[in-house]
Amino acid sequence: MENDLQAIVAQTETSLKSVSSRADWEQAKASVLGPNGSLTLAAKGIGKLPNEEKPAFGQALNQAKKQVEQLFADSLCVLEEQADLVSLGDRVDPTLPSTSSLNGGTHPLTNTRRKIVSIFRKIGFTVAEATEVETEWFCFDALNTPEDHPARDAQDTLFFPPDSQWSNVSRKGKESHVLRTHTSSVQIRSLLRESPPLRIIAPGRCFRRDTVDATHSANFHQTEGLYVDRNVTVKDLKSVLDYFLKELFGDKLETRLRPSFFPFTEPSFEVDLKGPNLGKLSDKWIEIMGCGMVDPRVFSLVDLDPEEWTGFAFGIGIERVAMILHGIDDIRHFYQNDQRFLSQFSNGA
Amino acid sequence: MKVNIEWLREYVDLPDCADELVDVLPMLGIEVEEDEEEASPQLDHVVVGEVLSKEQHPEADRLSVCSVAVGSVEPATIVCGATNFSPGDRVPVALPGAKLPGGFKIKKSKLRGVASEGMMCSAKELELGDDESGLFLLPDSPEIGTPVERLFSQDKTLELEVTANRGDCLSHIGVARELAAHYEKDLKTPQVSLDLPEVDQPSAGGLIDQLVLETENCPYYKLYSIKGVQIGPSPDWLKKRLESVGLRAINNVVDVTNFVLLETGQPLHAFDAAKIKGKAIRVRQAQENEQITTLDEVNRTLDPEMMVIADAERALVVAGVMGSIDAEVDDSTADIVLESAWFQPGNVRATSRRLGLHSDSSQRFSRNVDPQGLAYAAERAISLILEIAGGELIPECVSVGSSPRGERSIEVQKSFVEKTCGFTVDEAQLPNSWRRLGFEVSGNDPWTVTIPSFRWEVERPIDLVEEFLRIHGTGALTDSNVTSPALLRENDTTYDFCNRAIDNLVGQGFQETCNYSLRSSEEISSWLPQIEAEKIALANPLTSDHTHVRPSLLPGLADVLAHNQKNLNDLQGVFETGRVFRPGPRGNLECISVAFATLPQSDSRQWKKGEPIDFFEIKAILARLMAATGLSLPKGNWTTLENESPWQDGYSAAIGDCHRNKLQVTTGIIRLSLSKQKEVRGPIFAGELLIDPVFLAKRKKAVSFKPFGSFPPAIKDLALVVDNTEPAEVVRQAVENVAVQVGSGAFEVDPVSIFDLFQGTGLPDGKKSVACSMRLRASDRTLSEKEVNRAFDSIVEKIQSETPYELRK
Repeated sequence: MENDLQAIVAQTETSLKSVSSRADWEQAKASVLGPNGSLTLAAKGIGKLPNEEKPAFGQALNQAKKQVEQLFADSLCVLEEQADLVSLGDRVDPTLPSTSSLNGGTHPLTNTRRKIVSIFRKIGFTVAEATEVETEWFCFDALNTPEDHPARDAQDTLFFPPDSQWSNVSRKGKESHVLRTHTSSVQIRSLLRESPPLRIIAPGRCFRRDTVDATHSANFHQTEGLYVDRNVTVKDLKSVLDYFLKELFGDKLETRLRPSFFPFTEPSFEVDLKGPNLGKLSDKWIEIMGCGMVDPRVFSLVDLDPEEWTGFAFGIGIERVAMILHGIDDIRHFYQNDQRFLSQFSNGA
Repeated sequence: MKVNIEWLREYVDLPDCADELVDVLPMLGIEVEEDEEEASPQLDHVVVGEVLSKEQHPEADRLSVCSVAVGSVEPATIVCGATNFSPGDRVPVALPGAKLPGGFKIKKSKLRGVASEGMMCSAKELELGDDESGLFLLPDSPEIGTPVERLFSQDKTLELEVTANRGDCLSHIGVARELAAHYEKDLKTPQVSLDLPEVDQPSAGGLIDQLVLETENCPYYKLYSIKGVQIGPSPDWLKKRLESVGLRAINNVVDVTNFVLLETGQPLHAFDAAKIKGKAIRVRQAQENEQITTLDEVNRTLDPEMMVIADAERALVVAGVMGSIDAEVDDSTADIVLESAWFQPGNVRATSRRLGLHSDSSQRFSRNVDPQGLAYAAERAISLILEIAGGELIPECVSVGSSPRGERSIEVQKSFVEKTCGFTVDEAQLPNSWRRLGFEVSGNDPWTVTIPSFRWEVERPIDLVEEFLRIHGTGALTDSNVTSPALLRENDTTYDFCNRAIDNLVGQGFQETCNYSLRSSEEISSWLPQIEAEKIALANPLTSDHTHVRPSLLPGLADVLAHNQKNLNDLQGVFETGRVFRPGPRGNLECISVAFATLPQSDSRQWKKGEPIDFFEIKAILARLMAATGLSLPKGNWTTLENESPWQDGYSAAIGDCHRNKLQVTTGIIRLSLSKQKEVRGPIFAGELLIDPVFLAKRKKAVSFKPFGSFPPAIKDLALVVDNTEPAEVVRQAVENVAVQVGSGAFEVDPVSIFDLFQGTGLPDGKKSVACSMRLRASDRTLSEKEVNRAFDSIVEKIQSETPYELRK
């Protein structure tokens, strides 16, 4: 009898090997465990046994049943996995391209702006923004560039008509609205809104009434920086800019402050740099940015006491930095948005 | 401005080799523009040598062995193949270590057994000329040992860029003064001593009877008269000076005034006295529409903002800008009247800009000439005219008005300088720097510094710090540490918002782009005909395609898709963040905008078809963008857009308004005719956010946690037959409202969702079926089937009685 049970187990094991579908499996299960199944029938044989043999047979029967049930469970598991695999389709060739051609990427000007902002953030500068539409007072007068100042000649400014109204660009008086020619106007908005000490970096779009060519663009981007505190010195200015430029262009960089003129800083400087690995511009002095100590008149114009407050400001062209960093020779690339240009920078490098 | 180096040498001793000025001037604050001509060749180790003796080479007929003095102790022995020289000649000698322009390196060597310690060169070998027939015999016997490049760096002209504040440097003497300060040399200005008495009206019998200043724009005017000049060509030295800086010689009198302008920076004007009508000079504002033909032979219309120098009848000169052909000094001129004046810089600048007429004269007047230099410049010119053109000076200077500024004194302390600079300063350096610039210094910490009238912009102690730094330099400021690393504030929210938007859209597969803010009026009127374009028009656009500021980023994105399609670039989806400008009820609003645009599918052929983007996918992209940037939709429902360019009717929707809600969200398909206009193939799916920056500045309140139950929900579905035109969201909202009302107090209702939409067989025409699924749950128990069925029945009943919707059976 017990041998019969073992035979049923063995036969179940054999027959399950040829089971390939759920239906086959159900049928196989019925043939063993169903009402007329071989194991069910074998169990019925217990009644004919002598009583003393019954316990042993019962034990064997239970064991065989467990074995058989386990075999069916295992088989079902395999069957289900096979079915799942079928739903996955064919195995893949991972070398084939993905079908979506949407490959996102950032613009090189964003990359450069983020680099600049991130360097300055490490030394305590955070981003301030203001509108691209400005007024003459914020763009010039408050920056110590009154109407008849010679510096106003150089700024070829795009104006709005005198009656143009702007709901979110406040005016000082009745002055005209303009498109800002530099991000320096953010200095003024920030100084009027927030109290010093203040350390801000203000990236943004600017406009000049310029003919578009390889180095000029009707709009371009600058980053303004402003540091106002007590006892700020030319030495602080130089150390901040040295840190920034070395972080941006590498350690082996020489820098120098060359005297220059901006109406809103005194003294004023152009910053030149010289360094390796700058392509055609390597190892010669190139102008990179303007800077200077905030002119005391600017403090007076925003109602800060120039005896108490000191500071420095600087401005750098984002296109110019990107062009130097990547060896780009024509500013129009940034605005043409050719995928063959953009994709070279889209990984944020 | 051009300066000629030889000319500069008249006023200051400069190094023999003036090439270094290219480096020196910028560090004084005067930029030197890139040299257009080829840089003179680098001739290290090439010096002037004198041939002492010349012997036949023992081994070679064509060579000679020479002893050449080259400035060192021992003469050099040099083997040479040329024949055009003899002992006593001075020639360029390339010594060992020299590298000739062609790349040839000079070393000690043996030529046919004789040691040669260098090479004597031809002009061609040094690229100093084309002559290669023999040695370059140096004229004028230059000193032995002098580097040869010094001999040839002369008569060089530099193009300088003088900053707006330094009008005093727009002259040779002005630049020489800066160089004198740098090299610590004396400034040598030409002496003039005419000692003319000043009168306030011309004496009788002169060339002019009357001089009147009628305008505040001219506070100071001087006039001189010379009779009987002989007009003719200028002498060579004068022509050479003018030509060296690109000016054309005209005649001796005009050339002298031009020369003095370039020498001193003071523009002068010479009138032909015979052409001055009524023997009167009036300095006045122009009349409305007054006409003048300037020397460039252009007829110009003046206005009362402009100042003129006139005679009794008409304008003769646009003051400070350019004379008219009517009073020009020409070959027939015999008597001249010479003007030396100071005009309000702002007035000259404005006039010159308005007329679009910029001259050497207007450039200097608008940068504020030295009012105390009028007499000097005039007398310098008079001396030269008398010398060159003869004539007789009427010995008086008619001087009207007074100098608008003189010298100023500034008191300054060392502690102030150090406080600004951040480094310690040696006591003697300060007065020394200032004196070198021609300032007078008295006292000792504090010093009193007297600023001459030609430096109008030096007014305050801080200006003296700048002057000190210009002379002292900032080269010592290296390797200092950055202080104060703490953050005092956070980034403006507008900046962080845009960065999050950029990252999200890049993550969703879009390429960031950057487009021009200035657009054409045609584009705006076809893309956004509903906005009042004239309100965002510029007053002075430069070109006709850049007349307005952009009200939307979308046309730019369409341009990018078109450009890349044309170039067969695989670029499907693009976006931009930036500022756009929208006219509104309270004036124009500068908004922050994020816009993205995509073709439904890549243009390129692919091995496997992907799902094309449809309206609901672009809506999902927008939803993800908004979630990632922390925005929620404004209250209200999406409205299908009809007649809202640039969007395609029936395939686009909007919610919110940038003026009323400070947030406006639009998505859908760009009007097909517009994409066609931009030459984009295929529909453009797009989304656009317009945000009033104020909206982002709002601090958001912390969210309060709402507890939720742990009992399973009962799910009930129902389908409603509604009008075809009924927005699904309205149906869904109605079902949800009813369910919430019914459940009030007994159970809660999760947001109702739409799970099926059907139209066609079995439904009446003009109707559709919207199937909704709702989940009901109580927070404290599992709802019984009985409870759920009762609730569902009342929901259905309520919908049928309170809404126009029918239950689908």
